[in-house]
Amino acid sequence: MRKTLFLSSAIAIVLLSAIPAEAQTSASAEEGLSSANQALLARIEKLEAELIALRASVQQSVQTASTAKETAQNAVKTVSTVQKLAKAGAAGAYSGAPSDSKWHLAGYADVGFVGGDMPGPDSFVTGKFNPGFHFQYKDLLIFESELEFSTTNDGKTTTELEYSQFDIPINDYVTLVAGKYLSPIGQFQERLHPSWINRIQGAPAGFGHDGVQPTSDTGVQLRGTVPVGNTRFTYAVALGNGPQTTFEGGVKLEGVGKDNNSNKSIGGRVGFFALPYLELGGSYLTGKVSGYAPPAGHEEAPVTIAADVPVGSSALDQARYTLWGMDAAYTKGALAARFEYLNSHRAAFFSPTADDPTGVFLPRLGMKAWYGQVSYRMSNVGRSDFIHNLEPVVRYGQFRITGHDVLREENAQDRFNVGLNYWLAPTIVTKAGLEWRDFKVAGVPSETLYQFQIAYGF
Amino acid sequence: MKIMKNNGIWMGSTLAVAMLVFAPLAIAGPDSANAKAKKPDPMQVVRGAKAWKNNCGRCHNLRSPKELTDEEWDVSVTHMRVRANLLPLEAEDIKAFLKASN
Repeated sequence: MRKTLFLSSAIAIVLLSAIPAEAQTSASAEEGLSSANQALLARIEKLEAELIALRASVQQSVQTASTAKETAQNAVKTVSTVQKLAKAGAAGAYSGAPSDSKWHLAGYADVGFVGGDMPGPDSFVTGKFNPGFHFQYKDLLIFESELEFSTTNDGKTTTELEYSQFDIPINDYVTLVAGKYLSPIGQFQERLHPSWINRIQGAPAGFGHDGVQPTSDTGVQLRGTVPVGNTRFTYAVALGNGPQTTFEGGVKLEGVGKDNNSNKSIGGRVGFFALPYLELGGSYLTGKVSGYAPPAGHEEAPVTIAADVPVGSSALDQARYTLWGMDAAYTKGALAARFEYLNSHRAAFFSPTADDPTGVFLPRLGMKAWYGQVSYRMSNVGRSDFIHNLEPVVRYGQFRITGHDVLREENAQDRFNVGLNYWLAPTIVTKAGLEWRDFKVAGVPSETLYQFQIAYGF
Repeated sequence: MKIMKNNGIWMGSTLAVAMLVFAPLAIAGPDSANAKAKKPDPMQVVRGAKAWKNNCGRCHNLRSPKELTDEEWDVSVTHMRVRANLLPLEAEDIKAFLKASN
């Protein structure tokens, strides 16, 4: 019992002594925790400060990058502008700020050499210089004109106005053309005759001057394109002064400054794209011609045509001229194949002269011509750049005339051309070719010509 | 002679009427085409390249876009719009392509 009491007392003393010790330990821990928290808070505050500083740094970097990008873009724009100004300045075309009126100088030129067994010696030929001027006022209209300078056999310079016309877009499908314009009949005269486009040195027989192909007219045209589904029709309808009678009694098919009769010709062409690379066209022209009107100071009569004069026909002081034709062009990749046919006739009539008011009888005049041409640019043959620039070409055509012996003797022929072109640039070509002319009048010898030409379109 | 005069009067009157009828269209047509040209986009350049190849190459070799300045291309393509019977939108596409490539 005493032992138990002793133990109990001892435990109690121990417990009593233990209570203040525990309390002392708790206070000490609180002090330690508060210190850790403060350290942690301090660290967090430090990190927050670092984060803020980092954000500021990033924003500054972004601004710096943005400024650098803007500076670089401005530099690129400046360089681009300087390049364009330099380019425009070099071309002599820069006129300061964009203006309502713009212009463009274009055209083409050629020189060459012609030899063979034709009448006359082999010769260098000066060819032609055809500057073209295009002036545009906003999108309201464009005025365009082309001159042709050439040198005659006796050294004189000739100047001709090839065309001079206003083009006024009426709407998306109609453009009004007024002035002297290239004939819209067929394709060759309006689109293919410039020497840098023409694959042969000259025009096909009957398609140049004094041929069946009208070269130009003076008047008005309505022209444009009408889309139909996936294809389109193109058209040109022209009302012009029309053809006139030449001094030789033929038909002049060039635009004149003033008409010599009140009758106007009407004609044009309709084209159709059967495929994107296949164009088909049909042309028509009709009008009346009067007798030859000699220029002031030249009172010569036209060449008298040997023919039987129909009785009772002396009232015919004008004659109907009619032309029709068709054309086709297949142009896909390096291959270009073309075909054109023209057929015209002028009715018989009397061409009055100063000495003979009743007129010289001119019989019915018929002219027809056609040609086919194939050219192939060897851009896909082999690996040689030299071969890629070569372009062989073949053309065959015929020109026939009835009712005028002089014109027939000089012009009626079969003509065969073989040529090889070398393209120095897309608009600079050198041509070498052979031309055989087989005249269709007995006694007129055939001719073989070799021709060289360099042509530049600018 | 009287018939000729009547013929001339008739043609003159027809031309005058035609020009009066088309005059308002002449003001509206090109402006609408111009408005469309102010928003070139990459697809317009692509369409222009295709139209350039299909139309210009039909008659002659394709000129390099670098041959002319933007302003010269404006005039040259307008000239060819008439000569080659291009649609106005085709012409605008071709201009966009040539200007993007010169």
